[in-house]
Amino acid sequence: MTMRDVLFDPLVNKNPITFQVLGICSALAITNSLLSALVMGLSVTAVLAFSNMSISLIRHHLPSSVRLIVQITIIASAVIIVDELLKAFLPETARILSVYVGLIVTNCIVLGRAETFAMQNPVGVSVLDGIGNGLGFSMILIIVATIRELFGSGSLMGVSILPLVADNGWYVPNEMLLLPPSAFFIIGFLIWIIRSWKTEQIEQIDSLPIPNRTTEAE
Amino acid sequence: MSNDSPLKAILVVFIVALVCSIMVSVAAVSLRPYQLAHQIFNRAEHIVKLADLMPANTDTLSKKDLMDIFLQLDARVIDIDTGRFEKNLNPLTFDQRKAAASLGHYVTIPAEYDVAHLGRRSQFATIYLVWDGEQIKRIIFPIHGQGMWSTIYGYIALQADLNTIAAVTFYEQGETPGLGTQIQLPGWQSKWQGRQLWDGTGELRFRIATERVVPESMAARYEVDGLSGATVTASGVTNLMHYWFGEHGFQPFLRYLSETPPIRANN
Repeated sequence: MTMRDVLFDPLVNKNPITFQVLGICSALAITNSLLSALVMGLSVTAVLAFSNMSISLIRHHLPSSVRLIVQITIIASAVIIVDELLKAFLPETARILSVYVGLIVTNCIVLGRAETFAMQNPVGVSVLDGIGNGLGFSMILIIVATIRELFGSGSLMGVSILPLVADNGWYVPNEMLLLPPSAFFIIGFLIWIIRSWKTEQIEQIDSLPIPNRTTEAE
Repeated sequence: MSNDSPLKAILVVFIVALVCSIMVSVAAVSLRPYQLAHQIFNRAEHIVKLADLMPANTDTLSKKDLMDIFLQLDARVIDIDTGRFEKNLNPLTFDQRKAAASLGHYVTIPAEYDVAHLGRRSQFATIYLVWDGEQIKRIIFPIHGQGMWSTIYGYIALQADLNTIAAVTFYEQGETPGLGTQIQLPGWQSKWQGRQLWDGTGELRFRIATERVVPESMAARYEVDGLSGATVTASGVTNLMHYWFGEHGFQPFLRYLSETPPIRANN
């Protein structure tokens, strides 16, 4: 695996959201505006790069009995620092994202990359892997948020694009797009599109749960 | 040392915890002044807006200009319990939140009054009188109460009749993004304008409706449209209004104010 693969594979081939189906919670919650999605993506990328780097640095000295506790401590510290930075320099956005910045700690992608990648690989590649996965996460967030904000509020980054009927324009916004479930449908469609294009991502029948297999047999 | 030895495990955990706590503390302490400056500026901006003193063209308005307008306001500390002005406290430095948390400065709220689930509150509060010549135009009160996840902080401006709402704002909350956070939307806050707190019999009728308000109904005068998906936050807002404008809140002060109109202080 080349450095290039480590950085770019998580964008489409092994995207954390559409391929590994991780980190869905925040992807649903904060994608109703593009600005929130951008800041969230950036924050997760920073946390991922930092936690992958630190965990890879000490990977030979991590007793397996306390492995997870140490990983979570590092991740949580990185998240608190990002949260403090946002509150100091982007107070408006920090207010909108509120609890979801703190909840990056529970984002499965971060611990997932620490466990499956940073624990086995040298520092340099681990940082690239963190950045790559952060970008893959951000990319899906940006796509979902663009669709939701444009058609849900008629604007992008808070700037009106489709003038709303309420402001004497012509566009009737689809308010369902502002509610979290709509992100579920959009991510579902994205997964469908990507798997139709990259058919190797489709799960083998063997890996499906058993009830489905019996239905197949009938 | 082997990775399996318990001593190594303790040592690694200790070092990681130490390094992480130092990083977090440094970040928190060094960024505090920036966060504090934003907080002060942000609160001043909300109050100036509620006082209706925001210049029409805000593009050229610097932070200093805004602070100047804010400092021109007639800020006063009141004793919430007695309803009188408290002249020994400086309204610019008095911190209501700190007072609510420090011994000797807070009042425990009796359970039957504690609809906003605060537990206790400061004995004093800073209010702002907005003058139009010798007449009071608006009075701005600080309000707060429990929402769904967090304490919601805001300000409300009443008109000179001490009953009609002139404007409202919520400047701090940690409600569900996209749902409860809608209480910060200017569009929703503008629906408060002109609503009244009490009816003719003196009953506190104001509330956030759980259904759409029928504009022609009798209740419409006291009700603001609810927020879909944010029922708990909305009822938290109703509760905090009922606490702060109830007998344990600003009512003693409002009574005092209607009996003895204040005189404009000379700056």
